[in-house]
Amino acid sequence: MHRAAQRQQVLLGHLAAAALGAPEQQLGAHPTSAGDSAAYERRALSCDDVVIVSACRTALCKAKRGGFKDTPVDDLIAAVLKETIRRSGVEPEAVGDVCFGSVMGPSSQRANECRIAMFLAGFPESVPVHTVNRQCSSGLQAIAQVAASIKAGYYTIGIAGGVESMTTNPMAWEGAINPRVAESQCAQDCLLPMGITSENVAAQYGVSRETQDAFAARSHRLAAAAQAAGKFRDEIVPVATALKDPKTGEEKRVVIDQDDGIRPGTTPASLGQLKPVFKKGGSTTAGNSSQVTDGAAAVLLMTRAEAARRGLPILGIFRSFAAVGVPPAVMGIGPAVAIPAAVEMAGLGLDDIDVFEINEAFASQATYSVDKLGLDMDRVNPNGGAIALGHPLGCTGARQTATLLYEMQRRGKAARFGVVSMCIGSGMGAAAVFERGGEVDAPPRGAVNSQLVGLSRDAVVS
Amino acid sequence: MPGFHTQFQGYAVRFSPFEDGKLAVATSQNYGIIGNGRQYVLQMGPGGITEWRSFDTADGLYDCVWSEANENILVSASGDGSIKVWDVAAPPQANPLRSFEEHTHEVYSLHWNQVRRDCFLSGSWDDTIKLWSLDAPGSLRTFAEHTYCVYAAQWNPAAADVFLSASGDCTVKVWDLRQPRPTLSLAAHRYEVLAADWCKYNDCVIATGSVDKSIKIWDVRMPKRELATLLGHTYAVRRVLFSPHAETLVASCSYDMTVRLWDYAAPEDALVRIWDHHSEFAVGLDWSTLVEGLLASCGWDEMTFAWHMNGDPRAS
Repeated sequence: MHRAAQRQQVLLGHLAAAALGAPEQQLGAHPTSAGDSAAYERRALSCDDVVIVSACRTALCKAKRGGFKDTPVDDLIAAVLKETIRRSGVEPEAVGDVCFGSVMGPSSQRANECRIAMFLAGFPESVPVHTVNRQCSSGLQAIAQVAASIKAGYYTIGIAGGVESMTTNPMAWEGAINPRVAESQCAQDCLLPMGITSENVAAQYGVSRETQDAFAARSHRLAAAAQAAGKFRDEIVPVATALKDPKTGEEKRVVIDQDDGIRPGTTPASLGQLKPVFKKGGSTTAGNSSQVTDGAAAVLLMTRAEAARRGLPILGIFRSFAAVGVPPAVMGIGPAVAIPAAVEMAGLGLDDIDVFEINEAFASQATYSVDKLGLDMDRVNPNGGAIALGHPLGCTGARQTATLLYEMQRRGKAARFGVVSMCIGSGMGAAAVFERGGEVDAPPRGAVNSQLVGLSRDAVVS
Repeated sequence: MPGFHTQFQGYAVRFSPFEDGKLAVATSQNYGIIGNGRQYVLQMGPGGITEWRSFDTADGLYDCVWSEANENILVSASGDGSIKVWDVAAPPQANPLRSFEEHTHEVYSLHWNQVRRDCFLSGSWDDTIKLWSLDAPGSLRTFAEHTYCVYAAQWNPAAADVFLSASGDCTVKVWDLRQPRPTLSLAAHRYEVLAADWCKYNDCVIATGSVDKSIKIWDVRMPKRELATLLGHTYAVRRVLFSPHAETLVASCSYDMTVRLWDYAAPEDALVRIWDHHSEFAVGLDWSTLVEGLLASCGWDEMTFAWHMNGDPRAS
């Protein structure tokens, strides 16, 4: 009995502090009414924030000559879909909708190819898919669309992506042109080849050939450095495919995991040798324009509540999206109008943005947009852009998002907001703001060398 | 199928590290104050949780642990100071295989070494921790530095020689078998520390749970100040366990009858879930290492539950 009394004593001790009342309280953190530009970090996270938990892409390969010249477009889509499921561990049947941006492919056939790719990637028949086309911003439009649908409550988990095989679907106009285009200057300008719009931007806003070549060389230099440093490794999905030898017709199995458009040795001087292709005496050359490319990318979006429920790491938060119209004859100025619109919508100023991914359709329009907005060049396309990597039209927006989010992850707390933007053929621009605040997950600890103690947890050691 | 009803009050539940459907539950009669004990081995199936084996003991059982080396070996901690070793494949009359009788008071915790797999620790109300191997007739070492009951002793998941102990003397000590004394003595709480565990992905991070109702997260390299304090339990925290599958997820159970899930990465918003399926003290808790997100709990309401962290224990 003595023993029982002792046991009772010990167990009663466990309830001792119950008499204390409330445990020592910490200061309650109330949401701040200050805007996002406040110097301190916002800490009020909303469960209905739309967050990105996975972003990946295939390598970008030169059309007709690159690694994907013999790869069917559905295989590219299936590769990124499969990887998205693998990375996140989300069961495919939980995905509410899939949306792919695609530009050149025949519309109905491409939608069908996306459906085929879903089955090849192991999705059940219950998961729907559709395609969107806002020209060069289709990949970003898909992300905005899925984010909006999640916000609207149509579903909680969605996949957005983009795809383009410019090998299979080169740029072409089918059928006759409406003779009434002559009635409107803008309607007529919609028919201008993109290269001519670039010449227009260069002429109208005085962007010299030297400036364009310097910008193009920078793109190659940064992309080559990023590739050499393995910075694209996280975002690229290796694709096992076949390559046919163009002479012998012999088929070879290969794994494509490297962008093949980057030319490391490119200098402004070497680009200066090239002849203008669109206009006699012009300044737009093959070297300072984006490359014609094949590729696909996909992003997995869900509500923050869902990501927390699943314990998934959050790469970034989708904050805002804006698409705007500009004169078709100078369609390249799109980002200069779209970026301020999206940034303002997010309640931010341009100074708040730490990294910009601005599509380099042409060096002329990219340089103009950066100069017009007065952006710090160090924050723009830190890993190169479409001039070096290529511009698979429908894929680009999703590709830029993957590149942006991983760059922001590498920068840790040094990068809180990022912007993806591009110009759009026929005269538009689009931009989206992503946040990587204090509420997103730290990069995996494996990235930091464990011998270096004393580093902050978001430090990146390369 | 709402859980499994044990005849006595539950004190500890453990998933088998070998078979994803097996659960061991240690129970005691009369809330462990006086009376017998029973070690259950339960089987989770599509029809619910069913009894597969049970072994009776003369005194109450406070903890149990599966061997990491042999799927049939189960060890129980008894109120009479003995440690019982069971061969669950053998019938009750062939058991226990061994009874280690060295502790002079109640044995309250057991933990098997997950790196070397050949030894285990026991923590007792005689203020000591003992190191055991099934191959040796008696304890290999005794660690006597605490000044009050030892409530938990947990091996480090990465270093085979390192373990921690949590005690009613309000300290948590970190030990290295190669050292004679503790390598760290952490004054973790102002009240008794009932529970502690190592993070499975960062071998320097520990969590402690106390009578002061709080859970604290520490980096043992920086013992001056905790990394985070998780407040919410309204009575003493009885067990705290890091998830084997996510670095910052922590589960806890408490005398306030709740089981809670925390993510200490966002300390001011750390509480992820609360389950109130127990109607008495929630005392036993475990994560499955084989099925991600699977939890089990038992309590003084004589109920044992197993459920997925995204679900409801009463529904699964």
